[in-house]
Amino acid sequence: MRKPGIDFHTHPLLVREMVARHPELAGAARKTFLIGNNFQPLETFHLELDLAGLEKAVVLPMDASASSGAVVWTNEQIAELCRMSARFIGFASVDPHHADAPGRLRSAVQDLGLRGLKLNPPMQRFFADDALAYPLYETARDLGIPILFHAGMSWEPGSRLQFGHPMRLEEVAADFPGLRIVLAHLAWPWVVEAVALALKYPNVYLDTSALYFDNPRDFLRFAMTQQVPLTVFERSLRKQLVFGSNYPRVEIKNMAAAVEGLGFSEECLNLIFRSNAETLLEAAR
Amino acid sequence: MIVKLTRVEVQSRQDLEMIDITEHIERAVAESGVRDGLAWAMTAHTSAGLLVTEGIECLERDVLAHLERLAPKQPPEGSYGYWHNRYLDFDGRLGFNAGDHLKSILGGVNCLFPVENGKLVRGSRQKAYFVEYDGPLARTVFIQVLGNE
Repeated sequence: MRKPGIDFHTHPLLVREMVARHPELAGAARKTFLIGNNFQPLETFHLELDLAGLEKAVVLPMDASASSGAVVWTNEQIAELCRMSARFIGFASVDPHHADAPGRLRSAVQDLGLRGLKLNPPMQRFFADDALAYPLYETARDLGIPILFHAGMSWEPGSRLQFGHPMRLEEVAADFPGLRIVLAHLAWPWVVEAVALALKYPNVYLDTSALYFDNPRDFLRFAMTQQVPLTVFERSLRKQLVFGSNYPRVEIKNMAAAVEGLGFSEECLNLIFRSNAETLLEAAR
Repeated sequence: MIVKLTRVEVQSRQDLEMIDITEHIERAVAESGVRDGLAWAMTAHTSAGLLVTEGIECLERDVLAHLERLAPKQPPEGSYGYWHNRYLDFDGRLGFNAGDHLKSILGGVNCLFPVENGKLVRGSRQKAYFVEYDGPLARTVFIQVLGNE
């Protein structure tokens, strides 16, 4: 029987209790992520996890304050949410354009207890292999935390797709072999390139939170059986693939059902839904 | 004449679920001050519904199963797809719950009861249900009571 899993990619944009405490969160979610869903009590997030057989979720902020002026949840707000529920694993976000970016990250991890870094090159307007971001990578490596990079397609009007190309991560993967790097959204549409990176660099992981047309079942089947055969993920990348939903752009239940329906072995599903995420997060302890 | 609108929040806990809201409507009637008139309830959502049926679990299961057969969440493979499966820029996400919207249309989104002597009038086996087609979510039900004091 499978252990309750971890969703490695969620945005806590709809949590009503936090929006009540911090009204600016309502506007940020609507304006930057264009999310139009109704705000929900924290209980709904928990029920979403329950329904998908998951125990915990990584919750992500987005700091593009120095590049595009957008901030969707601060690191302090993520830490506040994590104090409200033990089911959340908080990540930090730091805009690499800030001169004191490494210090901000160190503080988020050491003072706020956050356990990973989320970077969004298309929104933060930098190429991942730009020297600008290297001090952040060095800090993340020294802190032992993983970095989750937004990769591939971006819906946000202020973003630019070119910054999300996964091949811009190759130098980073090569220069920081001890740094665990997760490419979000399978880096779609550049799934083949993302898979090539992961095949070559064992410190490169992929998350499953990809949905850009059709529905979760049909989209993931296209990306993970037609763009790249499922056997590649099962045989070669089974320890470098983590479940992510991208909630609330997609309900967790729908994405979990889609991944479960792809045809992976039960052993591989255990890795995707739990063990690989634990491995990534273990480094942060 | 009294016209009073009440908003009730219902927390669904499952993907598909029937939640008895008869007491909510009865309470709204009792608190309205209306002696003779009508009580009307409507869901504020398009992937949820309201309907009246007998209040027993087996029938709840049959209602949900039948609506799922008529309007499946996943379109049958190889036959047709839902047009709703596309990016909705106003919503920041894809639409892939056409089946749930269709269930809402098939099952209806409101129900109406007479009010007599300050009480809701309904058949002995009738219950009013909020029906969740795309949960879990916190949902809103409007209950409006109108009539004479």
